[in-house]
Amino acid sequence: MFILYIFILLIIFAIISLFVKKQRWAVATAESAIILILTVIYALSRFYNYTGGLISTGSYPIDKSIGISFSYGIDGLSVALLFLTTVIMFVAIYMSKVESFDRRFFGLMLFTEVGLYGLLISRNFLFFYVFWEVIIIPVFVMIALFGGEGRERASLKFFVYTQIGSVLLLLSIMTLFAYYGSAYNVFTLNMSTLLNPAFITKEITDKVPFWTDFLLFGFFFAFLVKMPSFPLHSWLPDAYTVSPYPLTIVLSGAISLMGGYGFFGVLMPIAGVISPSVAWFIIGLGIFSLVYFALTAMFQTNTKKMMSYASAASMGFILIAFGDGLIATSINSFTSYAGGIYQILAHGLIMGLVFASLYLIKNRTGTDSNLSVSGLWRDLPYISGFFLAGVMASLGLPGLAGFISEASIVLSSYYVLGFIIFFIIFGMIITASYHVWAVQKTLNGPFTEKLGKLRDANASEILILSFLFILILLLGVYPNLFFAPILSFVKGVV
Amino acid sequence: MTFVLYSPLLKTLYPEIFLGLVAFGMLMMGRRVHNRSVYSVLSIVSMFIAMMLLLAFDYGSTSFFGGAFVVNKFGLYFAIILLISSAYIAFSAGTRIEHDPEIFFAILLFVDIAMIIASFSLNLIFIFIAFEGISIGTYILSAHGKTRRNLEASAKYFFTGVIATGFIVMGSSFYYLSTGTFDLISGGTATIASKPALLLALIFLFVGFGFKLALVPLQQWAVDAYDGTDNAVSAFLSSGTKVLAFLVLLRVFLVGFAGLSNDVFYLFTIVSIITMTYGNFAALSETNFKRMLAYSSIAQAGYLILVLTVVSGSSSQLAFTLAIFAAMYYSLVYIFMKGGSFLASNAVNKDKIEIDDFSGIGLKSPLFAISLAIMLFALAGIPPTAGFFAKYYLFLALISGHLWYLAVIGILNSAISVFYYLKVVVVMFRPSEHEHFNLSKKVVIPVLIGAILSIALSFLIFGYPNISGIVSGLGIGV
Repeated sequence: MFILYIFILLIIFAIISLFVKKQRWAVATAESAIILILTVIYALSRFYNYTGGLISTGSYPIDKSIGISFSYGIDGLSVALLFLTTVIMFVAIYMSKVESFDRRFFGLMLFTEVGLYGLLISRNFLFFYVFWEVIIIPVFVMIALFGGEGRERASLKFFVYTQIGSVLLLLSIMTLFAYYGSAYNVFTLNMSTLLNPAFITKEITDKVPFWTDFLLFGFFFAFLVKMPSFPLHSWLPDAYTVSPYPLTIVLSGAISLMGGYGFFGVLMPIAGVISPSVAWFIIGLGIFSLVYFALTAMFQTNTKKMMSYASAASMGFILIAFGDGLIATSINSFTSYAGGIYQILAHGLIMGLVFASLYLIKNRTGTDSNLSVSGLWRDLPYISGFFLAGVMASLGLPGLAGFISEASIVLSSYYVLGFIIFFIIFGMIITASYHVWAVQKTLNGPFTEKLGKLRDANASEILILSFLFILILLLGVYPNLFFAPILSFVKGVV
Repeated sequence: MTFVLYSPLLKTLYPEIFLGLVAFGMLMMGRRVHNRSVYSVLSIVSMFIAMMLLLAFDYGSTSFFGGAFVVNKFGLYFAIILLISSAYIAFSAGTRIEHDPEIFFAILLFVDIAMIIASFSLNLIFIFIAFEGISIGTYILSAHGKTRRNLEASAKYFFTGVIATGFIVMGSSFYYLSTGTFDLISGGTATIASKPALLLALIFLFVGFGFKLALVPLQQWAVDAYDGTDNAVSAFLSSGTKVLAFLVLLRVFLVGFAGLSNDVFYLFTIVSIITMTYGNFAALSETNFKRMLAYSSIAQAGYLILVLTVVSGSSSQLAFTLAIFAAMYYSLVYIFMKGGSFLASNAVNKDKIEIDDFSGIGLKSPLFAISLAIMLFALAGIPPTAGFFAKYYLFLALISGHLWYLAVIGILNSAISVFYYLKVVVVMFRPSEHEHFNLSKKVVIPVLIGAILSIALSFLIFGYPNISGIVSGLGIGV
């Protein structure tokens, strides 16, 4: 019940924020902070002794004849991602103090959080889908209203791409519903009931194999678009670059978790029906995305765009982890899956830090370009320090969050991939090189004198950046905090 | 010997008689009263009274004239939503009608009479008469107005419409030739005397009735007619009459051609694929707002007739129920999302409304812009609007009927359509200096009503168990 109350409170907060004019930033920040604190309290109290499975469940039937009910429930995966969502939204709203946005912006931000929260707690496919779509609308509106140059094109591209993915997801859900209904004469949209490999094998694969491929295709397509993976990524650079920075933080930190949540929340339970060839295809896509995005990032002259590609590249690890988990057995499989989930979490926090510090650099210097700015260490030691920390975390420096997930994925995938792992290492080397290059260009070297005297981060900005950095450090030195529940969740499902 | 007014047949005709009396009364008032709001209010009130009369004399399922005129809940549902749609149009038509308001509103009431009769008819002769009543009424409505554009649009509509009428007559006679009856229920199960004649009837009736629904290849009149007529009339043409044409299509091809369900299935599969794809791709490159909406309504008609493919192509009871429910629900939602979007063009004081003419309206009146945005989201089928649930049931029916290719084509089409709907949303919030907006209450309120209903109607899905009981009223079961 507690989690549902938090959700309802969040909806009320979002509506309030749409109408508050004065002190809108303070109100929205306080609201997101309250949600963050409540979620942490919930997680600490309920996940202290977590041993896998779904806890704090509940259900409110709406239309029984076609299986619509508002069911909710939390597992190790969704609690980790809820934590990420609430942290990222809090940081993004906090950071929007740097510029002055109007009340619509804060309202829409909180509605994005409503969508994400709803997506993560709902266990009924109809609501899963509705929230999946609800997230897109405020993001689309925010890009269209507050974005930079080319915002109309970017917002439409973002929407149409994700919409094509979503509708195929809807068809897959309907397929499950229709087959379950005709097999057992029970109409349900309950996720736990429908995502049952025994049911799919018996009623769909054995009878009409085509429909299994059909439904898997829909799921994969939708999640790959959101990820984004190689051929379906072209919305990403536009959306990330055009968005105002707080929204970029949300896009890279929170929206990107949707694809991963789809893979581990929807496809992992039915891993039994996914054939190994599909798994190899996913691994291939992951490796290709990793290398391709890393190479693309290398040639960007705009730091924001470069980091967008870096974000996409590290999503490749999630695909590798998922495909590897499908093929590997027992402990390797568990480690691989858990590493993939950990990567979603780590990637979100790290990208939050990177884009938050870049936001301040942009704010002070007035440009995203890494060609026209250098030597920022002199005037902006704090901001530069945090940027460096974010970049180091992003390239997987040991001791920080990214290392844990990348290491566990690479280690466990060695048993499956063998020498192919060289390509992953290759991608990681490229990643390291352009990250270092970005730092060298902007932070080191002689100071660009025409910028004049720059003002370093103030106390509140240092506070929020160190909050993120401490979280990344904490996840890096004490991974068990999240790794344990995630691993129990994975063991409970597989 | 009972008094004639109490005979069961006459009782069911009370609403029609009442509307006719009011319409003639209006025409007589026209000599003295010239205030258009009076007529607007009068016609709305009489439409609501007609709805009450329809509900009050509900006989369950009663048939007259040997099954030609069947009063049941299914027909009642459509009669009522058609009345609601004309009330919605009457409410907003007041703003731009400059002369002879009594003629406009009286014709609207005459069209309503024909609509009520058509929604209860199960006989080709009855359907033809009622359908012609509607056609002639809408010819007059679309010509109402003094500009050349109105007349041009009306002339196009009229001349092509008359040809379609000819096709209906020919089709009906071929139907009679083959089955020996005009009655759809007995014709559907009759032994077929001549299959070629019945196939000819299928094609001819498809041309005749598909014309009103603007299915490809019978669509070209629609774009010009919607663009050229007054906004309220285009709203009515694209919502009310379309829903009625859809109902007639359901009746004629599912009940009347039950013996040829395989041919019906192939015909409508091909037509629906072509129609929705053509409509969407044509709308993508359109810059004129009303023409864009016209193409979108062609695409929407393509989705609607997917219902016919499910019912004729699948033998599953679940698919049948879901499809008919989708047809009923989609029709209701469609009236508001489509009609409301057309009425939104009232806000721009121009003849040819480009999409770019909406730029800046979001900053002038956020209420209007958000309302229009909600209706466009509903047309695109994005949750949590009612348009999403309408599509949800439609595609659920397709999947339950195992017609996966149609589901994929349809749903990809609806994903592509997002592009041109949202282009309008984006443009509305673009800053600009345009001053040609008319944002008076009379313009904003109908749009607002459309938007509210486009969301509120999604609660109707909870009525699925109740509504699913009356789908058998169509005239066939599985």
